[in-house]
Amino acid sequence: MELEVKRDRLVLRARGNKWEWHIEPRYWRNPLIYVGILIIVPVVVYFVYRPLLPTIIEANLLATIAIPLALMTIGTGRMNFGPQFYIGIGGYTAALLSIHYHLNPGLTLIAAALGGLLFGFLMSPLAIISGGLYYSLLTLLFPLLFLELTLIFVDLFKGDTGLAGIAPLVSVGSFSLNLLAYTFITLIMMLFYLFIVDKILRSRYAVPMAAINDDEEVANGIGVNINKVKIISVAIPAMMIAIIGWFYAHYYGTFSGQTFLPLTFMLKIFMVTMIGGRTQIYGAIVGGYFIAFLELILIRTAGDMASLIFPIILLILLLVLPEGLFGLYRKRRYREYKPTLHVRR
Amino acid sequence: MAEILKVTDITKHFGGLTAVNGVSLSINEGETVGLMGPNGAGKTTLVNMICGSYSADSGKIEFMGKDITKLPPWKRCKLGISRTYQIPRPFPELTAMGSVVVSALHGKDRPNRSFEDAYTEATCYLEFVGLFSKRNILARDLTLFEMRGLELARALATGPKLIFVDEVMAGLNPGEAAKAVRLIERAKDQFGVTVLWIEHVMAVLMRAAQRVIVLHYGEKIAEGPPQEVADNPLVIESYLGK
Repeated sequence: MELEVKRDRLVLRARGNKWEWHIEPRYWRNPLIYVGILIIVPVVVYFVYRPLLPTIIEANLLATIAIPLALMTIGTGRMNFGPQFYIGIGGYTAALLSIHYHLNPGLTLIAAALGGLLFGFLMSPLAIISGGLYYSLLTLLFPLLFLELTLIFVDLFKGDTGLAGIAPLVSVGSFSLNLLAYTFITLIMMLFYLFIVDKILRSRYAVPMAAINDDEEVANGIGVNINKVKIISVAIPAMMIAIIGWFYAHYYGTFSGQTFLPLTFMLKIFMVTMIGGRTQIYGAIVGGYFIAFLELILIRTAGDMASLIFPIILLILLLVLPEGLFGLYRKRRYREYKPTLHVRR
Repeated sequence: MAEILKVTDITKHFGGLTAVNGVSLSINEGETVGLMGPNGAGKTTLVNMICGSYSADSGKIEFMGKDITKLPPWKRCKLGISRTYQIPRPFPELTAMGSVVVSALHGKDRPNRSFEDAYTEATCYLEFVGLFSKRNILARDLTLFEMRGLELARALATGPKLIFVDEVMAGLNPGEAAKAVRLIERAKDQFGVTVLWIEHVMAVLMRAAQRVIVLHYGEKIAEGPPQEVADNPLVIESYLGK
């Protein structure tokens, strides 16, 4: 293994492979500003109006689900309509281990991640054998099957009421401080996922994903092992989504399939990805905050009618903004982040 | 010249239709072989089987002495088989550069190849086909001729030994067609690839190919030097009828 530091990049050579990482401080300003805003907002909210903190947590979590889902969509070239299946896997794994074996959240995290990874691998052949609408319908089916299982095996999953008594993730004394801590944990999770997925999408590993997205038969013909790419593209995001299930379990202290597995929760995630912009990982954050706050405003102002008005507003937005909010921003302020190569003639 | 590709008694059925029926052929290294036949003769099906897009119902395909009949397309590509498509199939959402980078990264195994190296190599192939100035344009926005050039660049970037060129003249005007022919001839000279050229236009194969194979209703009806094939009564009959 050999590491070389150049003026603008790090070069790593190992076992016949070569990786290069650009170090470009000129691109750091905007991300740092946005991260700064995301850190400051919860602190301001904590001092000004604390009841908003759960909404920020919800927004962060919705974005955190949408980011790996975007990676899964890009890598398989297919839209998965059942990411909540992995939330269920992670949540129930954490809940069962915490309640029955009194494992601490650190250990349940590992178990939930491994559970998500395992089920991701098991589900990945779906992306190989089916495509388009069939894949979407199949993935839509699995969370509903899982929900049925939780209702059949009531002794294990406790049916509608769900599992209660899960150890909390943090306990810093007051309820408000706990909320603030949870807000920052979700923020860190979201930014960490964003960083990881962004790095993947800018790396050489994104190239075969993009090719599969466009035409997988041609990609296969020019040397891309499409099955391998698809399996990895399902399994890794599945693990990332399962970790969010783990968080939900330890955050609420209870976990019920009835909350996370039905279509209503999927609709929310779907709307986050559509409003933010399909496969736009930065758009996921915009979408997450938009949906969480829109839902809050509607519940406060429209009461029972909120459940009717919410999808109508979203449908209108989908018609008006087919590329999503972030897509609109990208269109107006397009910037090519990858430096263009110049060849001297 | 060493034999690079050997196809023995290859057959493909689609339901009740026999698209390719017991075709055998061989191609030597450095050769340009023409493959012709009327519409529906089974030319593209044959190429799809050699490239791995379709599996053969029976028969054997050997590439550089290795049996590749059961290998998936990506493994065949890594061995050195590449192709262009009759109807261009670019990656519409990728730029011209991005499309070629996919091949440069995933074609032939090259040790110590980084993402940046693949970009650099892709520029060479784009320059070769005259698309360097359009490297940052989305593939879907290119003209038909440019798409064909991009497909050639994408195929060459995999580092092939054998390349299948599928009806490159289709849809091009005479000027563009002449350029396309020159481009393939240059590719053969510069990169040392062997070419199997599927074409309807006899005049092109008469000039470019050393040998021509003719298919009709999925069966090989003639093989030989272009002039000999052009004079073959069976070939004339297959194109013009009795």
